[in-house]
Amino acid sequence: MARFVIRRLLQSAVVLLGVTLVVFLLLQLVPGDPVRVALGTRFDPQTYEALRARAGLDQPLAVQYFDYLRRALTGDLGVSFRSGRPVTAIVLERLPATLSLAVTAVVFALVVAVPLGIVSAIRSGSLVDHAARVFSQFGVSVPDFWMGIMGILLFSGVLGWLPPSGYVALTDDPGRWASHVALPAVTVGLVTASILTRFIRSSMLEVLSEDYVRTAEAKGLRTRVVVSRHVLRNALIPVVTVVAVQLASLLGGVIVIEVLFAWPGIGRLTYDAVAARDYPVLQGAVLLVAALFLLVNLLVDILYARLDPRITVR
Amino acid sequence: MSRTRFRLAGATIALMLAAVAGCSGGEGVDVDGNDTAGAGGVLNAAIGGEPDQLDPHKTSAYYSFQVLENVFDTLVEPDANLEMKPALATEWTTSEDQLTWTFTLREGVTFSDGSPLTADDVVYSYNRIIDEKLNNAYKFGTVKSIEATDPKTVVVTLTAPTPNLLANLGGFKGVAIVQKANVESGEITTKPVGSGPFAVDDYSSGDSIRLVRNDNYWGEKPQLDGLRFTFVSDPTVALQNLRGGEVHWTDNLPPQQVPALLDGDDPSVRSVPSTDYWYLALNQARKPYDDVNVRRAVAFALDREAITKAAKFGLATVNQTAIPQNSAFYYEYAPYTHDVSQATQLLDQAGVNGLTMDLMVTSEYPETVTAAQVVASQLAAVGITVEIRTLDFAQWLDEQGAGTFDSFMLGWLGNIDPDEFYYAQHHSDGTFNFHEYANPDVDRLLDQARTETDQAARKQQYEQVAKQIVDDASYIYLYNPDVAQGWSKQVSGYEVRTDRAIRFRDVALAR
Repeated sequence: MARFVIRRLLQSAVVLLGVTLVVFLLLQLVPGDPVRVALGTRFDPQTYEALRARAGLDQPLAVQYFDYLRRALTGDLGVSFRSGRPVTAIVLERLPATLSLAVTAVVFALVVAVPLGIVSAIRSGSLVDHAARVFSQFGVSVPDFWMGIMGILLFSGVLGWLPPSGYVALTDDPGRWASHVALPAVTVGLVTASILTRFIRSSMLEVLSEDYVRTAEAKGLRTRVVVSRHVLRNALIPVVTVVAVQLASLLGGVIVIEVLFAWPGIGRLTYDAVAARDYPVLQGAVLLVAALFLLVNLLVDILYARLDPRITVR
Repeated sequence: MSRTRFRLAGATIALMLAAVAGCSGGEGVDVDGNDTAGAGGVLNAAIGGEPDQLDPHKTSAYYSFQVLENVFDTLVEPDANLEMKPALATEWTTSEDQLTWTFTLREGVTFSDGSPLTADDVVYSYNRIIDEKLNNAYKFGTVKSIEATDPKTVVVTLTAPTPNLLANLGGFKGVAIVQKANVESGEITTKPVGSGPFAVDDYSSGDSIRLVRNDNYWGEKPQLDGLRFTFVSDPTVALQNLRGGEVHWTDNLPPQQVPALLDGDDPSVRSVPSTDYWYLALNQARKPYDDVNVRRAVAFALDREAITKAAKFGLATVNQTAIPQNSAFYYEYAPYTHDVSQATQLLDQAGVNGLTMDLMVTSEYPETVTAAQVVASQLAAVGITVEIRTLDFAQWLDEQGAGTFDSFMLGWLGNIDPDEFYYAQHHSDGTFNFHEYANPDVDRLLDQARTETDQAARKQQYEQVAKQIVDDASYIYLYNPDVAQGWSKQVSGYEVRTDRAIRFRDVALAR
């Protein structure tokens, strides 16, 4: 087990190194000059050169990259072009907002999708099944920003139950945090729930047609027991992976939703950094997201071995 | 195993329900920031985006200046009519040869941390901008030296007479007086120390900036206890925040709703003509746009009223010169009527037909994208096919710098003195002359007016410049937009300014 974890961590380090290189090179291909954006329309060649030198952009690319790597190893991800603040601090202070939004959204999605998927599979072809399929079709096809705006107009505009946007830290005031996170989390969660419902339904249907399920039924076990003891345990194993992938991608920040709801997370940071061509912040954000993704996947692999005795980690 | 999982799911459902119950407790929407409020209250302002940083000398973002307007001071500052009035300097004298300006500083001014603000701080601030070649260094182009002869006196020596020196030193907070210790500690980017009516208390990245009243402020004490700026980029959401009471003030209103909002009284929405202008520029380094007849043809082909209606929902004043009507430098001149036959005739004279013109606009300023559609259909009527390219601003600026465009549309914001915008955009050495206009007469007039100390003569020179630029169609000016801002009924004493400076020092909040 320990050897497995160590090996995976080493692999992750190599992946992260690759990520830094790919991101660095991709950014060079993107048109747009951060110094020009920083100066805006009041352009002056002298100021331009001075700012370029201060940002280190006058150095050759290879020098810029290896400089970046050398400092990244010590946890220093450079300094933002826009604000002049350390990237490590900027990225880390955005993490709690994104984490709390992602986790709430996934919890909401599970609460909706697990019962819906199960019932829809067991009662395949029933009214509930049809309703579930319409719901999941709706969730995956309607754009989330539109759902977000509709949610704001309804719950904040017409009903006045929830604030339309903004953020309060969970640690500052859990009640106000909950009222602020509700709309964005439900908006994001609906999409995730739609995906999960479909997945759970088909995974359940697959297991339901297995021989051992027929055997269990033939033994005379009641449907509820068959489902909870035999079907669910097996059907939910692949679901863990899907949930993990969903969670990991939400941790990357839900850009449109964070921008819409003025949510100070990684997604909004990335959006602003792209617009300003703030390369150091963009690199830092991508690196953090990649690291989180690898971490979640590692945890899933370990969890797998615990859930399914047929799988062992070595 | 499955039982544990179900118990876990049950617990989460219970938690979720508790959370939802907790937030729909029936009191409606809570107002942020009230927890720190005293007698004067904390005003919540929603601005359209996050400042890049709070160092006034290094930022160029309007979002930053919306906050910094309330934190910093300049030697002089524009009043409601954009005339320069005393601020940190109470009076100033000019030498006979116009090359030495002596400013007397106000008694007893301190920074918000209580340390005194002296002539040395003024010298430090200006030298910082000049020596480090910061964004506004060009405003000090004619400055030879800045000296503090005593703690209350600053002497600025010039290489040439500079009639608009006051506008350069006080037009906006980009030339504010900063504190050396604050700069050297690096805190100025997130926790700047100024001498203005409010002081930065807390900057929560991505979320909000809190200001508190500066009790050391030299002017009349603000009534508010503080300000809280939040960053709401979606105008529908910002308006919803204003209506719901979460926000007391915003300038991020959905443009299509502003005409209707102007009629209501809650929220109060006001709009005034701004000093900004929006224009179309044709690249004179490319054929056939080097031919004045082609440029004039385009000018005649445009229906400015229709463009304004589409891009600004009518909230703008059409104008064929740069300078808005409320400016002292306004010059009434509008030779281009919407005239298709005139335009076609001019194109024939130039021997141009079947022209395809590339028009570069940017999603950073959505009104350029909307206006471009109208421009395209109007030019189609005279046989010019417009290919619109919508770019993000970074790429747009890149292409503008490289000159890889036939035409572009953009605006120029917060204009006070004509030297600043005319010189940069229409002098053949101008730093913003990307469309490569060159007219020796205009160059000569611009050089002359730059150092002309007789105000009447100077105004006349700029009128000649304005006329020539319009006749040459160097830029095809379109309109001066209005600036619209909205605030809740609780807010009193707020005035919308034509230069878009957001001043909350005289505002009160009823509760």
